[in-house]
Amino acid sequence: MRLGEILRLVWLNLAQNKSRVLLTSIGIIAGSATIMLVLAIGKGGQMEVAEQFKNLNAGAIDITCAGDTKVEGTGSSRGGSPLNPGSPGGGAPLGGGNNNRLGGGMAGRGLGSPGGGPPGFGPDFASGMETVSLDEEDMEEILTCVPALGDGTISFSAKADVEGGSLDESVSFTIAGVKANYAQISNLDLAIGEFLAEENEEKKEKICVLGKGAAGEIFGSSYDAFNSTVYIDSRPYVVAGVLEEMGTVASGISPDETIFIPYATGIKYITGTDVSPTITVIAKDVAQVPGMMGDIENVLLERYPDTKFTLSDAGTKMEAASRSNETLQMLLIAMATIVFVIGGIGIMNVLFVSVKERTGEIGVLKAIGCSRKDILTEFLLEASGISLVGAVLGVLLGLCITPVIERFSIRVELSLTGMVLSLVFGVLTGSLFGFYPAFRASRLIPVAALNHT
Amino acid sequence: MMEMAGRMMEEALIKIINLNKGYRLGEEKVPVLRDICFTVQRGEYVAILGPSGSGKTTLMNVMGCMDSLDTGEYYLNGFPIHTMKAEELTQVRNREIGFIFQNYQLIPTYNVLQNIIMPLLIRGMGHREAEEKCMETIRLLGISHRLEHRPSELSGGQKQRVSIARALVGEPALLLADEPTGALDYTSGQEVLKLFGALHDMGHTIVMITHDLNVAKAAGRIVHIIDGVLSEADASP
Repeated sequence: MRLGEILRLVWLNLAQNKSRVLLTSIGIIAGSATIMLVLAIGKGGQMEVAEQFKNLNAGAIDITCAGDTKVEGTGSSRGGSPLNPGSPGGGAPLGGGNNNRLGGGMAGRGLGSPGGGPPGFGPDFASGMETVSLDEEDMEEILTCVPALGDGTISFSAKADVEGGSLDESVSFTIAGVKANYAQISNLDLAIGEFLAEENEEKKEKICVLGKGAAGEIFGSSYDAFNSTVYIDSRPYVVAGVLEEMGTVASGISPDETIFIPYATGIKYITGTDVSPTITVIAKDVAQVPGMMGDIENVLLERYPDTKFTLSDAGTKMEAASRSNETLQMLLIAMATIVFVIGGIGIMNVLFVSVKERTGEIGVLKAIGCSRKDILTEFLLEASGISLVGAVLGVLLGLCITPVIERFSIRVELSLTGMVLSLVFGVLTGSLFGFYPAFRASRLIPVAALNHT
Repeated sequence: MMEMAGRMMEEALIKIINLNKGYRLGEEKVPVLRDICFTVQRGEYVAILGPSGSGKTTLMNVMGCMDSLDTGEYYLNGFPIHTMKAEELTQVRNREIGFIFQNYQLIPTYNVLQNIIMPLLIRGMGHREAEEKCMETIRLLGISHRLEHRPSELSGGQKQRVSIARALVGEPALLLADEPTGALDYTSGQEVLKLFGALHDMGHTIVMITHDLNVAKAAGRIVHIIDGVLSEADASP
């Protein structure tokens, strides 16, 4: 029989059993919708991860101090490390810090800024513990002792009340004290104006750069914010620039809702010395990051014995996020596979029933000369037709469900490839599970089939 | 001798020689057809008459190439059916035999026209070509006005006419009818028999299986089958 004529017969059979076709294809509808959404959610997850990490440098290593250190005697061991024996040492063990807890300890560091400046660590004699606070000197030491590192910056973040612009009352914002090179290291892009400069840092100027969200909230728009004045802890800061929208980030400071000010300005006017900054260094070669992390820790331990530091690299975070995304995707694919198998078994069952119901018809077809191949083709095409209907309905269902899923803040990135794949998988599943019933139909003996009715 | 046999085979549409057929019942084999020797000439109208369980349906299945024979030879229109494989027999059924069943065996989801043209479609003909080819037969059987109807919308007599039309469209060498009036009322049955008479007059070879002597009498020749054994009888009109 010609394929075209077989297709006509298949169409006739399907068109006259619409409700059965629909019921049979429910499994495929669910399977196709699932696989389309799995791919869309997976892709959405990947894009989310990519966006979260877009302002992270793959070679970036964040260093923070994880806790206090034990005090042995009144002195400090910060007279220089063996790796860099020439680093400044000496100085009073108890600096004139302006903070009780930190004690403004400039011990052995020779910075001696009035009021403590960026502190080293100060002892708490009652507990026998000292609180370590990393500073620029530590960063310089790390960059000098670990030559495989390219660049580095130091930053902190704190909360402060902000007024000005269209705000009716003060609102708490994240204030980030950063160095001039922070924008480059964190891949920040400016929408308008300029980022903070070295000069602002040196002069401890009251100048700031707003994240896009912060600019919008305070002034209404980036353009209105530029060159305006914002009040942080009641002190006026001129807005030197506004960032592009950076989106959600995986770690560190979320730039959109943050106000960036010079590091030294922040220490002076916002936090005082009660701050726990983060040093960020950039590895020249991403592949060497794990080894470098050990070197960095050694440098710090020479300077602050018995202290715990937290070192985290962006690459590992990216990898972990990608891996967890992949795991989620695999889980969803496994779920879709199970749905497909169940759908396929459903199709197989219904086709078995159909073959049984139509045994007489098959007998007649065989009696009047229909070959095994033609009967196999007809039943297989019927299975494929049912699956195609199911797959198309599944894709439509997926399209309908997408907005509902997005309401739960799950990112769904629909793609043509995903739709085509779900169609192909749907039809393949139906055809695969439809093969055996079709084969059984084709092997029926004419006499037995005719006598069945 | 060989030449004679060849000529006989050329002349006879059906030639069955020492056909034996049985079915297994557990360990035991139950014979159904025993040493059947039977010949049907072209253009003959033969009735095979027998009671239930006599083996007439099995004989029809063997003659219709739907069942195999255990031993013996069967030639249909010169084809050695006893040596042929399943797929070859499928083609023989499509080209050489037109089946007319007691319960019509129409496909319920197809309309009358689709049922009738099915043998031609199976043969590889296109839809339009097949429709054109079967129009003459449809007119002959008087079912032109029912072409779009489904079998469920037809009377028994009309269904049997559709079944006969389906058997005829492929221009087979043999019309094989199994109790063609069995499911019909008397009037419809008589109409069908008249139709068979007309087809016979047109030169068709018809073999009809029946248990009803009155029906068998419509044929030109009656062959009795009892307990799987054939015996010729007069077919007095």
